[in-house]
Amino acid sequence: MGNLSLGANYLKEEFIKLKNALEKHASIVIKDEDIKNSIEVFNQSRLIYNQLNSLRMDEPPSISGTDLMKLTTDFFITEPKIWNEKTKGILEKIKLDSKDVAKNNNLRILLSGSPLHEIDFISFIEDIGLSVVYEDLCTGSKLFDLVIKDSPDLLASLSEAYLNRTPCARMMQINERADQIYKTAAKFKVDGIIHHSLKFCDTYLYDVPTLKKILNEKGLSVLFIESDGGLGDINRMRTRIEAFSEILKS
Amino acid sequence: MLKKYFSQLETSLKTKLESKTTARRKFVYEVARIGSRIFDEKWSIGWTTVFVPYEILNSMSVSGMFVEFFGAMLAGTGMAQKYLDLSESKGYSTDSCSYHRTIIGAAMDGLLPEPDVLIGASIPCNGGVKALKRIGEMFNKEVFILNIPIEATPKSVDYLTEQFEQMIEYVENETGRKLDYGKLKQSIRYNNQAREYLIEVNDLCKNVPSPANSNDLKNFIIYLLIQGTKECVEVAKLYRDEFKFKVDNNISGLKEEKYRLLWIQNRIQFKTDLLNILEEKYGANIVIDELNHIWWEPMDEDNPLRSLANRIITHPIVGPVDRRLEVITQLAQDYKIDGAVNPAHWGCRQSAGARVLFKDALQKIGIPLIHLDVDCVDERNYAPGQVVTRMEAFLEMLSNY
Repeated sequence: MGNLSLGANYLKEEFIKLKNALEKHASIVIKDEDIKNSIEVFNQSRLIYNQLNSLRMDEPPSISGTDLMKLTTDFFITEPKIWNEKTKGILEKIKLDSKDVAKNNNLRILLSGSPLHEIDFISFIEDIGLSVVYEDLCTGSKLFDLVIKDSPDLLASLSEAYLNRTPCARMMQINERADQIYKTAAKFKVDGIIHHSLKFCDTYLYDVPTLKKILNEKGLSVLFIESDGGLGDINRMRTRIEAFSEILKS
Repeated sequence: MLKKYFSQLETSLKTKLESKTTARRKFVYEVARIGSRIFDEKWSIGWTTVFVPYEILNSMSVSGMFVEFFGAMLAGTGMAQKYLDLSESKGYSTDSCSYHRTIIGAAMDGLLPEPDVLIGASIPCNGGVKALKRIGEMFNKEVFILNIPIEATPKSVDYLTEQFEQMIEYVENETGRKLDYGKLKQSIRYNNQAREYLIEVNDLCKNVPSPANSNDLKNFIIYLLIQGTKECVEVAKLYRDEFKFKVDNNISGLKEEKYRLLWIQNRIQFKTDLLNILEEKYGANIVIDELNHIWWEPMDEDNPLRSLANRIITHPIVGPVDRRLEVITQLAQDYKIDGAVNPAHWGCRQSAGARVLFKDALQKIGIPLIHLDVDCVDERNYAPGQVVTRMEAFLEMLSNY
């Protein structure tokens, strides 16, 4: 591990404070070995997810965005080892059954934007006849886009990894973010991007014009929609997404 | 156009100052000079967000202007709407802060002179940094970002101090100008002197009735631009002398002060009759603005960067909202206020997000609060009749308290 950047070093100090606070709150001692084991479990989660997610590169995807979002949402509320076992099982089953996936000509969509936990949002898009093949969301595929390096200083590894991961809008590197979206879109053979922002979500809203411009210049069509995170405005969104589909097909 | 505006403002205020010096005139005059300075080739230009340390920039002959001030100025001169329309037409959401949308639109329209440096601080909000990033893209320039820690600890002060050192290097690289440490130390001395005067000014306003009216210290947060300068000391001293004279001679800021109000966060920037109505019809006086509170300790001129870092991190608007609630509650008690006004600026997380907590905290000490739910910059959404009616009802309630 080389010298940490100024920011990563400070973040590491914050992680130490967090660790101390958790120890005090739960009356436990968190040893280095515990952190190492935890990193291994989470790295395993990332590996399994990314293997499963790669099945969305198939044409048509071997797993729907809705089903994968269910697993992602489960990840937040399930003990990781249990999630790993269950998801591994799902992966194995899908690999066996993949030739049974019905053919379709659904447009392939990358969903980007504010964090979302509503599975219905994804299924709503897919019910319109689109396939969500990647979620560039902190609560979607991007959650698993992280590499924690092994090192003698694991908190330093964690701080570097979290600080240097593919940026979301909370970080300010919009060009890097756009670049990553573009590369992912190419990898997953995406036809178009739906960029969703929660209402009043400054971090995403301020980026919309620039992000759209950069992605348009790279040949990607982008639909921007806003919601309150639910499906209250479902008909308006449906109309816009259907119109977007028409544009993509033409 | 901007050059002409500041130049005319400066000239007209200079003339008025020569006929009669008042603290308010002096303050606005010095701010106008800062505005003119952005067209002065002896200075490099910095566009920043509000809590960037100007003491450092001024010591590097970088004339800074924070984007929120600019948004406020455009609103005050009735020019904001054009730039709001422009930024909205390019996809900027009307739910985001109009201070920022105005400045983005102004930059799109070519109103802003090209900056040499762009520096954003992560407090009070990310929106300001994002607005700077958009401006930076227009000029093909990177933004230097100061990540402000939310807790004042030795390590967090170290962290911010090191970022200041990186910021200085960034400014040197972009402008070729070196930091004059002698000037920086002097700026700390001036800051400390001005601080003493400003504490006195605020203490004098605790007097019942206050020597100040609602406009005397309106938007005084803009003094951040002249902090650490001889001019800031002059302005602070003038205010102190003026208010002391008034208190010593029983001269009230208002003809008849009936209600004493605390104003939370930002004032309404565009022209309205609201304050006139409050003052003349109801004797309601804004005796303290939350943002005029002097929160920092005297700084150490031998450790200027560390002192400046500590000053920013300890600002009440940084970190847990409890810090802010504590200050607001204390101000309410110290200034013997009757009621508090929160404009609850549209799209502002600090103002709207904590609104319930402001109300609860003040209610615990028996002080009513009214949320106005206005946009402080975008007058298209301002319903004067409604706001005045609500304030009238609020003051009537205060009279029964």
